[in-house]
Amino acid sequence: MTTASLRGRPLLVLAAAACLLALAAVPWLAGNYWMRILTNVLMYCVVAQGLNVIVGFAGYHAFGNAAFFGIGAYALGAAEVLGLPFLAAIPVAAAVSAAIAALVGWPLLRLRGHYFAIATVALTMAVGELVTNLGGVTGGAQGLALPLTTDQSPDQVYRQIYFLMYGLALAATLVVWHLSGSRLGYALRALKDSERGAMAMGIDTRRAKVAAWAISAALTGAAGGIWAHWMTFIEVSSAFDITLSVKGYIMMLIGGMGTVFGPLLGAAFFELFSTLIWSRFTEVHNLVLGILVCVVVLALPYGIWQPLRRFWQARQGGRA
Amino acid sequence: MIFQTFINGLLIGGIYGLATIGFSMVWGVMGIINLAHGAYIMLGAYVAYVVSDRFGIEPFLVVPLAMALLFVLGYAIQAAMLNRVLKTSLLLSLALTFGINLILVDLVVMGYTSDFRAVSTRYASAALEWGDAFVPLARLGACVFALALAWAFHEFLARTRSGQAILAAALDREVSRLMGINPSRVYAVTAGVGAALAGAAGVLSSMIFPVSPHMGNSFLGAVFVITVLGGIGSLGGAILAGFVYGLIQSFASAWLGVNYQEVVAFTVFLLILILRPQGLLGKKFFGEGQ
Repeated sequence: MTTASLRGRPLLVLAAAACLLALAAVPWLAGNYWMRILTNVLMYCVVAQGLNVIVGFAGYHAFGNAAFFGIGAYALGAAEVLGLPFLAAIPVAAAVSAAIAALVGWPLLRLRGHYFAIATVALTMAVGELVTNLGGVTGGAQGLALPLTTDQSPDQVYRQIYFLMYGLALAATLVVWHLSGSRLGYALRALKDSERGAMAMGIDTRRAKVAAWAISAALTGAAGGIWAHWMTFIEVSSAFDITLSVKGYIMMLIGGMGTVFGPLLGAAFFELFSTLIWSRFTEVHNLVLGILVCVVVLALPYGIWQPLRRFWQARQGGRA
Repeated sequence: MIFQTFINGLLIGGIYGLATIGFSMVWGVMGIINLAHGAYIMLGAYVAYVVSDRFGIEPFLVVPLAMALLFVLGYAIQAAMLNRVLKTSLLLSLALTFGINLILVDLVVMGYTSDFRAVSTRYASAALEWGDAFVPLARLGACVFALALAWAFHEFLARTRSGQAILAAALDREVSRLMGINPSRVYAVTAGVGAALAGAAGVLSSMIFPVSPHMGNSFLGAVFVITVLGGIGSLGGAILAGFVYGLIQSFASAWLGVNYQEVVAFTVFLLILILRPQGLLGKKFFGEGQ
């Protein structure tokens, strides 16, 4: 078993490297249309990985991560309005999202099961309403137009956004990969199986949960920030869109939650297919997409990644 | 004015309650959050639109037809797809119902376009006068009809074998199996009845709201809040919370303006979660422990 997985490793590394290289070359090989689509795919990779941390590892079903996407978007927008350059504003977006997640996570992560899920949905709506009624630097109900201070051409901006999303997706995957072997990762998996058991083992469950949600929020918030710069105009209905949460969730489920690469596969699969379907069957794209989701869920209940890996290992094992 | 606002909220509340019962039961009994529930309501409204528009039949008389059609649909979806997913992971039901919702909405868009439709009745503008308030007849009829159906569902749960089996499975899945109850069948019946009630709510709301393929989405938000407010899986809770929600919405839009309708609804939602997470009439149900 171990040798099989070890032998599988070089192949995996090779495949990952090929993917990374191909994605890095996209801006020169593909047109703007495909770069735009792939930017979207990479953004959803980050959102799905963010969900993976809190849902896949800790087992807390955060339906409302769109709240942090929106918070990141507005934090970046506000920072830019106040004069911060784009690249410096991205960490701000991540930090603000993480801080708010830690703050509200302290009471909210006491809720369990469905109640936590519902509370996160309510959080998205509450923060959205708050931003709408706040006005000031958030623009309130009129939306927020980000200042255009750059002297770059649109092509350069889009390329920059693409590479930022690319880097963020890579960083998110590295975070999850590191997490899967770290103390915090083991603590989260332990409390997912049994919170009381984890406590008895001496794990500070509350701190672990809050840390997981903060990491999740930081990733999602950074993605939201880059997205805001990309859009140049944001409003509450698009930044705090609950569909983003639902889509990210489904991508994570389709890919395989709790795995390192599953969410990436799920995001690529879902977003690419929905784009292809949209361009080919514009009128009925939701119908086709719905059928696709149903078929995948029924045929691969453990996600795409697990059976793929098992197939891989079985082939390696058969050869040895 | 206050009295009129009160009546408006109350009359809408009955339909909200009926629209919620199925969603709440499915959640309580199986732990499934059915994202296609709004689509069931929408389909009910379309049955009313098609039948009453084409054959000029009284919308109230379409209710049994809509209920029968949606029972079959809900039962089939549960038996063919959701039961299978329940054996592996409860969460997958979320992805699955999301997909089903997309399919159902798009099928209606294909058949009837995204245009807004209206189901008109002869008494659409008729109203009773009560003091200085008006009670629109269509709304009054819809509310009474909704309550009657809720009562009928209560009797179904309390008096029939299927109803008792649903309650038993909701309390304890494993022990209900020992009592000779087949959970898969019970789940399919629960989903079917839930869809049928949603269909009835759709027919009733078609007389009040504009009918469109996307009307289910706004309903789903309300249904979600009302379920939590009333207590997951609680029939009485759903009805009571439906009225509370209707009243909150009506007073919020009368006093603060229509924009604040949802702010107030979600404030109440958050307060309930903090103060009484089990809802107004909630008690422990099987699906809750998931």
